[in-house]
Amino acid sequence: MAKLLEKSKVDEFLKSFGEDALVLCPVEREGIVFFDVPSEGESITFDFANTKNAPKAAFFPQSECMYKYGRKGDVFEMTDTGYDDKPRVLFGVRPCDAKSFDILDRLFVNKEFVDPYYQAKRNSSTVFALGCSEPCRTCFCTSVDCGPFGTDGADVIMTDLGEKLLLEPLNEKGEKAIASLPDAPEGEIKKKETIASEAEGKIASKVDIEGIPEKLWEIFDHPIWEEVAERCLGCGACTYLCPTCHCFDIQDEVMKSDGKRVRNWDSCMFPLFTLHGSGHNPRTKQGERWRQRLQHKFNYYVENFGCTACVGCGRCIVNCPVNIDIREILGKVKNAEKVAVEEGK
Amino acid sequence: MPYPVRIEKAEVATTDKMLKTFDLVFLDKEDEDAFQYEPGQFAELSLLGKGESPIGIASSPTEKGFLRFTVNKVGLVTQTLHQMKAGDTMGVRGPMGNWYPYEKMKGGNIVIVGGGFAFTTLRAFIVWLLDPSHRGDYGDITVVYGARNPGLLLYGDELDEWAKRDDIKIYRCIDWKFGPEGPIEEASAEGWVPINMKAPGETSIPAGQSTFTAFVPQMVEAAAPGSENSWAIVCGPPIMIKFTLPVLTKLGFKPDRIVNSLENRMKCGIGKCGRCNIGPKYICKDGPVFTLAELENLPKEY
Repeated sequence: MAKLLEKSKVDEFLKSFGEDALVLCPVEREGIVFFDVPSEGESITFDFANTKNAPKAAFFPQSECMYKYGRKGDVFEMTDTGYDDKPRVLFGVRPCDAKSFDILDRLFVNKEFVDPYYQAKRNSSTVFALGCSEPCRTCFCTSVDCGPFGTDGADVIMTDLGEKLLLEPLNEKGEKAIASLPDAPEGEIKKKETIASEAEGKIASKVDIEGIPEKLWEIFDHPIWEEVAERCLGCGACTYLCPTCHCFDIQDEVMKSDGKRVRNWDSCMFPLFTLHGSGHNPRTKQGERWRQRLQHKFNYYVENFGCTACVGCGRCIVNCPVNIDIREILGKVKNAEKVAVEEGK
Repeated sequence: MPYPVRIEKAEVATTDKMLKTFDLVFLDKEDEDAFQYEPGQFAELSLLGKGESPIGIASSPTEKGFLRFTVNKVGLVTQTLHQMKAGDTMGVRGPMGNWYPYEKMKGGNIVIVGGGFAFTTLRAFIVWLLDPSHRGDYGDITVVYGARNPGLLLYGDELDEWAKRDDIKIYRCIDWKFGPEGPIEEASAEGWVPINMKAPGETSIPAGQSTFTAFVPQMVEAAAPGSENSWAIVCGPPIMIKFTLPVLTKLGFKPDRIVNSLENRMKCGIGKCGRCNIGPKYICKDGPVFTLAELENLPKEY
């Protein structure tokens, strides 16, 4: 049953989740909109295309302590710091970012191994997606199995109706979360349908990814990768802001006799990522590293988990300091000629 | 979280002191029972405050009560580990990865080819195979193991013992010495009989001899193990593998019967951190054991 919420009552609604709940939403800080927990004095903003950072940090923080340890004399003691399952409310996630949760779920929570740190946060969260009435020109979500009003990965989908929000539950969790709100009249629901279908048409950027996984196998040794990565600085901005990038590093941090083992975001764009202790590096050139990123997202992830690890949010395009455009490269890949595999190595 | 273990024994394993063998004992019996492993798997050796290293398990699950690892001194973690002594505690996380496909190999002959300190998980497999409960399931076992010089061969005492057995054939070899015109065809050390360098396949192997002078690929050619109903496991430095594979192919081994154990930089060991992949396969969880046939389907990214 769809519900209505006045924008002026949003704060009150979010507070209704309780003192214990962690609320994350789009907030404006010095002209840039981030997806984060609002600090003292900050409040939600609806005036944005998409947030600078991806909401993946809610379940997969940039830095996370896995466990602690300390030394007592000659003996080490490990302390299980448990898993953070504080209830979280993610309010105002764009559908592309919501879909990223579905994509990451397949990696972090599957039949082989479950990542308990991710799972604890994910299970105790409620995701309110906010449909895009005005997509931007770098969005290409419809090309990667998503859309401005897509519903994957979310519990509730919201539509901005000006002074009010329409909230439609997508599952039981979503229904429960909005049960206390007044029902939405038929007229408002009709308005949403118009906005949603128009929004789809407003996505100007289209990328044809039909047959890309097979193509990527064929051109593994193609010189295109060197050309593509010529400008790449290896800064890693694309990986840090990408909603589906999930690579991480594990490091020990020690202060005198106490320490903790932490998990931090890492990036395949850095040369150190695959450096062996012997000094050998299977990916010495930036072209090889760039190839890994594209292959991983558009080929290997499809093979391993059945979906493309890209949601078309466009953050990598907007934030790349040297204007590398993944859409352009996908186009080049599509048209590249098959290369015979190098013999032996 | 890693299981706490105590170092029971720490011994230098090679004359260049770069390798040390550690026997580890679990502090908690429950952990020991939980750590059920197979030959070919690895574990992350965990030094709190320094980090972790993925190291192949050198002991066989048939050897109860301890885990053996032979570790090369390469970086921060392994350097610290080398400085540790019997009685010190550390952690072990695992077992991880897949293992040598011994089920598929049942009823066949097995050829094990190792070089340098890649022999660790091969030791695990040999001990496992020689265990009375398994030996009967397999045919001939041939082992070719080479290093630059005798002091760099691991597990010397055990190799001597195995060489005396009649249910396993051991061929140990060391590198030729080099003169101004190339390798010199003579024993590089006393007792290490040179093979026929120009035509290894025509070497006549003296009965009972188990120490030779030869490069590993040449030794394999000289030993000429039959490829009929046989499996080959090859573990060693890239250059050894590169030249051994053509010899095995010449002897008739097919890619789906040649098994390798690979390595890459790892962190999590369970296929989540994205680091150790070759194509869509993660070496930590889909490997480290792969057949040559499987590797031929993966991009050449190593």
